[in-house]
Amino acid sequence: MSQKTVLQLPLNRVEGDLDVKVEVADGCVADAWCSGTMFRGFEQILAGRGALDGLVITPRVCGICGTAHLTAASRALDAIAGVEVPDNGVRLRNVALMVEHVQSDVRHGFLMFMADFANSAYRKHPLYEEAVRRYEPFRGQAVRETVRETKNVLEIVAILGGQWPHSSYMVPGGVVSVPEQNDLLQCLHLLRQYRRWYETRVLGCEIACWNAIKSASDLDAWLMEKEEHRESEIGFFLRFSEKAGLFATGKGHGNFISFGSFDLPRQTQVKPGKDGDRRLVPAGFARGTTVEAFDSEKIAEHVSHSWFLDSREARHPFDGETRPYASGFEGQKYSWAKAPRYDGVPAETGPLAEAVIAGRPLFIDLVRKSGPSVLVRELARLARPALLLEAAETWLHEMAAGDGDFYNPPEEIANGVGAGLTQAARGALGHWVKIEDRKIVHYQIITPTAWHASPRDDGGVRGVMEEALVGTPVKDDQNPVEIGHVVRSFDACLVCTVHSLAKAGRAARMRG
Amino acid sequence: MREKREDKRIICVGNRFVDSDDIGPQVYDYLARRDMPGAVSLIDGGLMGLDLLRFVEGARRVVFVDVLHGFAPPGRPVVLDRSMVLEERPTGYGHDGGLACLLRMLPAVCESDLPEIALVGAEPPIGPDVVEQLADMALSIATRERYGRERNTAIDAPQPGAP
Repeated sequence: MSQKTVLQLPLNRVEGDLDVKVEVADGCVADAWCSGTMFRGFEQILAGRGALDGLVITPRVCGICGTAHLTAASRALDAIAGVEVPDNGVRLRNVALMVEHVQSDVRHGFLMFMADFANSAYRKHPLYEEAVRRYEPFRGQAVRETVRETKNVLEIVAILGGQWPHSSYMVPGGVVSVPEQNDLLQCLHLLRQYRRWYETRVLGCEIACWNAIKSASDLDAWLMEKEEHRESEIGFFLRFSEKAGLFATGKGHGNFISFGSFDLPRQTQVKPGKDGDRRLVPAGFARGTTVEAFDSEKIAEHVSHSWFLDSREARHPFDGETRPYASGFEGQKYSWAKAPRYDGVPAETGPLAEAVIAGRPLFIDLVRKSGPSVLVRELARLARPALLLEAAETWLHEMAAGDGDFYNPPEEIANGVGAGLTQAARGALGHWVKIEDRKIVHYQIITPTAWHASPRDDGGVRGVMEEALVGTPVKDDQNPVEIGHVVRSFDACLVCTVHSLAKAGRAARMRG
Repeated sequence: MREKREDKRIICVGNRFVDSDDIGPQVYDYLARRDMPGAVSLIDGGLMGLDLLRFVEGARRVVFVDVLHGFAPPGRPVVLDRSMVLEERPTGYGHDGGLACLLRMLPAVCESDLPEIALVGAEPPIGPDVVEQLADMALSIATRERYGRERNTAIDAPQPGAP
């Protein structure tokens, strides 16, 4: 008879409040439940406010991805106003969002995910001492470098948008900030500085060399080719992860979703991420590596296991409600996150989903060979800046070279319905907005982490992280580092809650 | 941003949309309505966390204003220095670290001389009178000529007007 243990794990190093409960039987996770433990209520805050208020309030949903929320809010209002954003407005929006992505990708990698490599659970791993030297919290070499470099690259958003985070410079029709030549040259300098560090320390090679890797065997050959490759952060990640077995955990449902992002300006040297899609990161849905066209009408939110008033059926976000209901249904409802589904099924989003849907050969090959995993998911995140940095540099050059408009004034936004869909650093982000008599009457937000950390849906199907946890081996239930790997591979973000310093020994948690 | 080394900064931290986390924003709003001495910059630190590093670098002294839990009864102002914050031992980067995480990492990542650091705060709930006290304390610490160790060892800050 197998022995069952239930572990209740408040996870740190995720953004916000996430509780994971797992049932362990015979040394493996047999079942899992993910619970968002804080009600936010931004939808209620926005109802009744002025049509443009989402531009100021939603970037405060999160201190990590405010630019993504601003992008989504602006795109929803663009749609309602029926206004076309001029090319330079598109470029500036894109560059700012890219900067937010590339800093988030490496911060997550080296400050949050790889911190687990320095966990004492790995003290017998042959690369443990080197992992501690690189990733020990506050002191590791990669940790220190990452903080310095990301601080500098984020200045680009401050130059283009006045501040970061919580900026509000995007508006329907474009952006309100028009950078001078000197501003753009400064941005180019900062971007190139970041790119140099990324190529030298993270990749261990030039971006063009990395992008030439098209298959798992290419990746093996690249790793063996030079010491610079093996000693780079990605090289070290691959070597450590292989020995830790991270290619075999965290598989999940195997469905992927991307809302698409980075619209191409009408005139640009940047190529689309996929033929027929005018974006650098295409939209789509994939079962395994079979990609289908994306249809936003297939999105619905389930609340049967969430602390919200039940609806008779799953609802599209234009029809959804956010009415908290935390009493009753004990044992069934267990999260403040809703359960978004696409065409009735859960789907993971983020850098790996973007790579699969774009048909990037390396990741298609890796997923076909061994399915999604902790290793492949984190590799996609660490490698994403290799795609974005080149396009950002091109768009900064194009802005500096031309005199085009950044803003196309729209008509007054009095009535209408619009959706703002984009990719945040962690994946698919949508704002669904209805305006009546110049007021917001409906606002629904689905964040990437709602896709990942959702509870079960109306059919009892596990959320993405819940499913990915099943089968995870747990060697030590007092230090279940394997569970941390799976959860952190999704870069979970249950958003900023309360910043405070609590005196040691007190029950209050430090969080924020 | 290039700042003069004699610059002193008051950085108010918190979330104005969350009652239990809006002490910093309340103090910011109060100070923003007052004339600030020329050498003192007032900064709305919001939820920037580690990204406040940019605003710390180059300063001679930085006074943070934030919610503090467990150092004194609710509503009583408290002043801590950097070493006292570090005693609370943040476990790693993330939103479970807050200011303690920033201050712990500061010596390794600050690209200027380390500024003098003070953290002024209180445990909620607080009323307008405490907001005013916290603002006065932050301004007083920021503007005084010397910020000596003897000030840093006090846990409970003296009440303004107290003997």
